[in-house]
Amino acid sequence: MLDRDLLSRLLGRALQHGGEFADVFCERRHSVAYRLQDGRIHDASYGVTLGVGIRVIAGESAGYAYSDDLSERALLEAAAAASLIARNSPAGTERSVELRPERVASAYDGARDEALDAAKYVAMLERADASARRYDPHVVAVNAHVSDEIQEVWIATSDGRIVEDRRPLVTLGVQVVATDKKERGSGYVGDGGRVALDFFDRETPEALASEAARIATVNLAAIPAPAGEMAMIVGAGGGGVLLHEAVGHGLESDFNRRGTSLYSGRVGERVASELVTIYDDGNLREERGSLNVDDEGVPGQHKVLVENGVLLGYMQDRLNARLMGVESTGSGRRQSFRFSPQPRMCNTYMPNGDRSFDEILASTERGIYAKSFAGGQVEIAKGDFVFMVGEGYLVEKGKITAPVRNATIIGNGPEAMMKVVAVGNDARLARRHYTCGKGGQYVPVGVGMPSVKIASITVGGTQHE
Amino acid sequence: MNETAAIELASKALDLARASGAQSAEASVSIARRFHAEARENVVARLEGSTGKSLFIRIFRDGRKSTLSTSDFSADGLRDAVVRAVEQADLVSPDEYAGLPDEVAEAGVRLDLNDERIAARDGAEKIEEALALERLIRAADSRIVNSSGSHYTDAVAVTAMANSTGFAAAYTWTRAGRSTGPVALDGEVKRIAQYGTAARSLADLEALDSVATTAVRRAVDLFGARKPPTMRVPVIFERDVAAALLDDIFAAVSGANVAVGNSWLSGRVGSRIGSDLVTVVDDGRVPGGLGTSPFDGEGVATRRTPVFDRGVLQTFLYDTYYARKLGAASTGNSNGGGVGPSNFYLESGSMSLDELIAATPQGVLVMDTIGFATEHASGTYSRGARGFFIEGGEIAYPIDEFTVAGQYTEMLAGIDAIANDLRFDAPVVSPSFRIAEMTVSGN
Repeated sequence: MLDRDLLSRLLGRALQHGGEFADVFCERRHSVAYRLQDGRIHDASYGVTLGVGIRVIAGESAGYAYSDDLSERALLEAAAAASLIARNSPAGTERSVELRPERVASAYDGARDEALDAAKYVAMLERADASARRYDPHVVAVNAHVSDEIQEVWIATSDGRIVEDRRPLVTLGVQVVATDKKERGSGYVGDGGRVALDFFDRETPEALASEAARIATVNLAAIPAPAGEMAMIVGAGGGGVLLHEAVGHGLESDFNRRGTSLYSGRVGERVASELVTIYDDGNLREERGSLNVDDEGVPGQHKVLVENGVLLGYMQDRLNARLMGVESTGSGRRQSFRFSPQPRMCNTYMPNGDRSFDEILASTERGIYAKSFAGGQVEIAKGDFVFMVGEGYLVEKGKITAPVRNATIIGNGPEAMMKVVAVGNDARLARRHYTCGKGGQYVPVGVGMPSVKIASITVGGTQHE
Repeated sequence: MNETAAIELASKALDLARASGAQSAEASVSIARRFHAEARENVVARLEGSTGKSLFIRIFRDGRKSTLSTSDFSADGLRDAVVRAVEQADLVSPDEYAGLPDEVAEAGVRLDLNDERIAARDGAEKIEEALALERLIRAADSRIVNSSGSHYTDAVAVTAMANSTGFAAAYTWTRAGRSTGPVALDGEVKRIAQYGTAARSLADLEALDSVATTAVRRAVDLFGARKPPTMRVPVIFERDVAAALLDDIFAAVSGANVAVGNSWLSGRVGSRIGSDLVTVVDDGRVPGGLGTSPFDGEGVATRRTPVFDRGVLQTFLYDTYYARKLGAASTGNSNGGGVGPSNFYLESGSMSLDELIAATPQGVLVMDTIGFATEHASGTYSRGARGFFIEGGEIAYPIDEFTVAGQYTEMLAGIDAIANDLRFDAPVVSPSFRIAEMTVSGN
């Protein structure tokens, strides 16, 4: 996007007052999206994100400035603004940085065909709409959207590297509302990933839409959720939201370097039941959270976060890795050129255990089966987390009985993970539609999990016996 | 910041849209200079300052709508993007309700949204404010052992809009904020509080020492918190968490949600929903309000709209499209792409929060919630929470790791006391209030 000579001068200007590291993040993103409402294509949108972010790291400090004006003058001004963070450091002269381009392998060569007939998007939405309405006469509204983007990034670093990545991201989401005049229920299903549109030849719009309609009709018939402590079976796939909230955020290195996470200083300690192993992986093929290189130019990696219950390491970006005396794990991510990087998750998942789902179910006298999740949140200092059930059922005497209305589940990270008493042999990655928010920045992520039983957790319904 | 330059860019985009085949169009431009300083201990951990532009265009052709948002302002880049957006409209279904508003705001309405002192502020002074806040939280209480950072942020911005009926207007606005995240050590347990405040002007901003002491109190008052028993009790929502409930109520009265069947309030205008105390207003002209502006996201004049009057649902809130679709008139609530709040709030009561607590023989005071998935179709509410157990009209002990849940129909009908602590430090705000009975789920 910018020529090598200019990148080199920007890095030099950024380090004019000193600092140990600088990078220039260039981004060009094109996205298209269509929305369907009331059985019709409601609108189309097109988006272009074009700009450059420049960062300087000096000790524990980072200076950042961005520009959507790509003129040399404006970019040099941004570099000078970022350099101010180091204005009080001792050594400072503008220096030149020699840059060498590097190539990285791709985990997602499926990419949007620019010449693609845009009518394909419309057809997908219309097929989804028809399928949801066919599913059940109680379906009264179908809202569907498809978005397709290519984000191209070029990252130049003061250690002399230039790397680039070209990241496709497609999402088809279907929201369905069902009503019987008295009650209402809704269901949402989304999928896609870093794939080409032919992904939806495998995971058809019809299948996604009828799944959303099924959840809406289940929720329509749902009874109020129970309140109080009970056993919980977390469903395979989307149950990975539990790992993301209960453990994942607490292992991001910014919190741990600063000592604000409850997992700070606990590498090597037992933080979960020995049945629990958790990975975060930036290389999984086609997953939403995969990155050939992260937003600091470091290749995506497979990280073992927790193995047999023992904490093995954190997810690192460059700034925090440097201060903690370790290497980056390729976890530096940002929403766009307007934001400085943070350590973030990519795709967080738990591998298979040895129990069948039927065994886990049969062992549960009374509890809740949370089959899918609408999202979650965590407070990293004490470690209390919540996640919101999208589709849930009561379990009574080893059997799934009535569906229950959306409830929030609350627990404490290590406490809940210590109470993992069974891990299923049905591990899979969730459908690809999750987006994670942290400090005002939103990035696509993946999650996955086998069915897991937690001996006891607080279910936040309204029915208190 | 220059209003004329912003209007010129919007007009240029409009010309391109018309030249590319749009029959009518509207362009919004925002140019903002943003500053952010973060301090941690005695270090400036983060210093960010940039000026950014964004352009958003809505294009109409034969009743088909297409939009463009871009930060590529090169001559070729902008033209290509506009052409592409106009072409995309061909795939959209014609819709009789799509189009520009019938009536736009008068130009030249001046609201007091710009504090010139913010633009004039020296960088060093702003950095010092973040450092000072960091010192204040650590000095306030010896149990504060760490922090997630103390922040000063500000923005000086111009919002401009032009449409093909000849409307062209702009306004300059400012915003400043202070926030901090003290961490206290309660035995082995880390207790963090996040507290912050924002305003259009420095004069309206909560003082630094007050931000610091409020944040610190929220961290240390939770010391020894335990999980409460599961019970049905009165629940008081403190101002900040009460505002999060108002977010849900906004979602339920948003014409965009009502039109797609995703609101538990569908079809209930004119019905009694809340208790007599519940008067909810959307007002785009609250002096100093962070949701205040002369016109909305499509140029329609902002106004004051009573949404609930003493418990009775008066109207939904609309932009032009959803108003036409649902047979109403725009309430000036376009946020560009859909329906958004201006200043959306529950009207204050007369007692202080302390008096409200004193008037509660037994109950729970919620200070903080986590989670967000209200199911709007059915109005099912459930959140993780922390706060205090109240006994005999007094705070008895702190509680955490519990949930609070209910159905919105019952919750609004159950509001039986409202405090007088409303302030406009966000677009959606609320005074503290009490709901007669909800389910608290713990042990």
